[in-house]
Amino acid sequence: MSASQPHHTSAPGPSTGSDPDTATPNPAPTSGPVKPTERPHPLTPFVRGWLVFVAIAIGWGREIVSSAGENQFEPRGLVWILPVLAIVVLLAGIAGFFSWYFTRFVIDDEELRIDTGAIFKRSTKIPFERLQSVDIVQPLAARIFGLAELRLDAGNSTTKLRYLSRSKASRFRDYLLTRAHGHHASIQDLDQQSVANVFTDLGAADHPLVQVSPQRLIVSFLLSTEWLIPTAISIIILVSTIAFGVLPFALGALIPLLIGMLSLIWRRVIGMFNFTLAESPRGLRITRGLTNLTSQSVPINRVQGVKTSQSLLWKALGWYRVDIDILGHADSDGENTESTASSVLLPVAALDEVELALGRVLPGFDLDDVALHPAPKRARWLRWFDFWTLRYGWDDRTLITEHGWFTHVRDMVPHAKTQSVRIEQGPLQRLLRLADVHVHTPRGPVNAVAHQLDDQIARALAIGQLDRARDARAAERQHRAVEMVRSDDHQGEAELLARFGTGRDHLLGSGGESEVFALNHDRVLRIYRSRHEAPLPTAAQLRSLYESWRAVDIGIELPLITDMGEYNGRSYSVDRRFSGRNFSSWLQSADSAQRRPALISFLDATERLQHLPSPVPGFARLIGDRAPQQFSTLGELLNDMLTGPLQTSRTRLDRDVPEVREMWNRLHGELAQRLVAPALVHGDVCPPNAYVSQGPNGPVVTGIGDFSPHTLNADPLLDVAGAVIFLELEPYADAPTDAAWLEAVAVERHGQDVSHWIDVYRRYYGFYFSNAYAVDPSLYAWCLRQLSR
Amino acid sequence: MEELFAPPAYEWKRLSPKYRSMRILTSLIIPPIIFSIPAVIVGVASGKWWISALIWAVAVVIVIIRLAFVTRSWRSWGYVEREDDLYITHGVMFRSLIAVPYGRMQLVEVESGPLERAFGLASVALKTASPETGARIPGLAPDEAIRLRDRLTELGEAHASGL
Repeated sequence: MSASQPHHTSAPGPSTGSDPDTATPNPAPTSGPVKPTERPHPLTPFVRGWLVFVAIAIGWGREIVSSAGENQFEPRGLVWILPVLAIVVLLAGIAGFFSWYFTRFVIDDEELRIDTGAIFKRSTKIPFERLQSVDIVQPLAARIFGLAELRLDAGNSTTKLRYLSRSKASRFRDYLLTRAHGHHASIQDLDQQSVANVFTDLGAADHPLVQVSPQRLIVSFLLSTEWLIPTAISIIILVSTIAFGVLPFALGALIPLLIGMLSLIWRRVIGMFNFTLAESPRGLRITRGLTNLTSQSVPINRVQGVKTSQSLLWKALGWYRVDIDILGHADSDGENTESTASSVLLPVAALDEVELALGRVLPGFDLDDVALHPAPKRARWLRWFDFWTLRYGWDDRTLITEHGWFTHVRDMVPHAKTQSVRIEQGPLQRLLRLADVHVHTPRGPVNAVAHQLDDQIARALAIGQLDRARDARAAERQHRAVEMVRSDDHQGEAELLARFGTGRDHLLGSGGESEVFALNHDRVLRIYRSRHEAPLPTAAQLRSLYESWRAVDIGIELPLITDMGEYNGRSYSVDRRFSGRNFSSWLQSADSAQRRPALISFLDATERLQHLPSPVPGFARLIGDRAPQQFSTLGELLNDMLTGPLQTSRTRLDRDVPEVREMWNRLHGELAQRLVAPALVHGDVCPPNAYVSQGPNGPVVTGIGDFSPHTLNADPLLDVAGAVIFLELEPYADAPTDAAWLEAVAVERHGQDVSHWIDVYRRYYGFYFSNAYAVDPSLYAWCLRQLSR
Repeated sequence: MEELFAPPAYEWKRLSPKYRSMRILTSLIIPPIIFSIPAVIVGVASGKWWISALIWAVAVVIVIIRLAFVTRSWRSWGYVEREDDLYITHGVMFRSLIAVPYGRMQLVEVESGPLERAFGLASVALKTASPETGARIPGLAPDEAIRLRDRLTELGEAHASGL
């Protein structure tokens, strides 16, 4: 994966020459001819010089203030310092000029590259897809001149591009975020967009979700614990020292306290001023700041957890603060420093606003739907100060824990983001049969701990959380794989869909080879993926196979192709539509009482497939470029089937499976012993390829579709084994249990011998699908499990 | 009580007995060394060697307590590789059970300090994106540590998922 890291190439590139208009030649040989590059805005050196001046002035001012207590302020010092200051600012300005002069960047349809450095040239090229967030920061000085800094986060490194004119910065930001999401866009398309508002950085297309008014921000700040405690301490110190007339001795304590309070005001009020959480076409965005305007995008897929907190005083006003863990933002201290990315989602918000924001960062989450459980009564002996506030609960996506009386804190962690789980129990807890459960998330403000649970419940929670995390991760992975395939596969599709009068909203299902759209109640449109090697020859072979089965009734629906062709560069076929629902999605929603009879009928349907006639006698591959291709024995046929996948996956299997060669030889020996008359084999009987309908006596599997190059004339037990073992891949919690149960049913039907052959075919399928590691890691993991049994 | 920290449907794998020997040695040596420094200083400086004797007595008590716990502490450690996650348990007074899904492991480290090497031991540490995970198994035989590292790395890749 190292190839996808941002490339920092320090190359002593060729000199730019004296003509400033000459483009810097790209050191990378692949980029071809000279490309026009740009410099940042010409005012950049002035702004940077100004910032240096301000920094020096502040530092010097601090020096005077802190030394003022000891000796008298001398005006003569000023005379000394002014020329020095002027020289420093001048030098900074010259340095700034050179740095500006030698900084060039390219942001176009092909690349994002920034070249810097006069003597040591450095060219930073960031692949668009590695961009995690693009923020705009405007320090006051830059803001006065209408300039902005573009901050690019990729992996663990942040690259700054300063300064650009504000409109240009926001255009680049929009363009880069579009590209970062994997969409294709051209920089020219974005030029017409309206320019964002100067004070809020909100464009016309942005829709503000929550805006924090200055009054509320200030009141909430004055009522916050972080402000009240130092204020109270200062007042106590002041009053007591004045009463005893020893004020000067207290200054040593008071001054740091005051500086701390000022910096708190700076961060919490000035830095959070005009706080707006907005929905832009390219994701959530936070803009904030009175003097320095910061505009920060919130990468929702990188949110690892959410925390809401409410202090006692805020409770009366119904206000909450919301923080989030964002992966990679851990370097910032989590506090709201004015310019770095911060973990604050909302500095202060009412309940309905909190719910709105939670709905965006944790999609599909609704706090009201989650049953929260209290800690047992005996927890009061250990948590006498807040035992009544301890709560925990979860729904199908998120775990919640609550604690705290003085400041009530609620932590929410999506199951898919769980890193690890820990149960802890101290000696007192052991006496009371209590335990804590920690759910670990990456560094950040969120720290989910379910305190003081009954020990049985704690164990169930921890182990259940691991299962939920695993299922959520698998679902996320599957979703991502589908997204990945989908995103590069829309070329020419819209016209094809329009020609058949359907659209993407009629998508019925998608697999590795094709996507299926509804046309009407009895026909569907199947669009083959562009990366499918030979869609039409395969479809033609399937079509004649299906035609030959029209006269045969085996009691289940089978596919039929009525039309096929190519349009606008895409291959398609029109298939008969199956009645009922997809079995895989049905299984996820059904309870165990419904599932078991449906699985029996799934096994029945699978067993009926062997009665379908084969176009050729003997062991054969029925679909594929050389089909129908006959073999004299089952062993030869299956060996031929495994040759292709193993060519791809051999090196990986050698590494991942101990003694893979012995296993391979053993499988061959066992397959050679299998004596069976050839019959039709689907080759991929799994719930996603089956359809279920509600019969008079409960759910029944009524159809099996998606015959493919896996289809053979071979051992019918291959399908029985497939029906059992592919069930383990289904993304519902009891799938492994159901698979074991279905295997027991198959053994009961066909005798003890079958169990051995299911085991053999387990390893066969493990080898057969092992080339899936690149496209479907969960399938590959499944293959490794089959091979290591 | 035990069932709170038992692995589901598996047996704990225990640490090497050499780890107990190492802990016995460190328990015997380290407190006397640490307590001897102030004891000698006090004795030499003030000449009141009975204070030093008291300090040494404290050291002896600590050694006895630690020795009493060594076997229990050694026995409290356990780990098990399940299908999708690794479980580690330890602790006598403060017990804990940690479960790390293979898909979440970012790094597996084998460490062996000079003392551990002298006893023929190594430890395996697992890192995830969370600093709180802190999963570490001390006192393994080097072969077992290397086997565990390779196995975990392999499983980590097979289960790998993004964040």
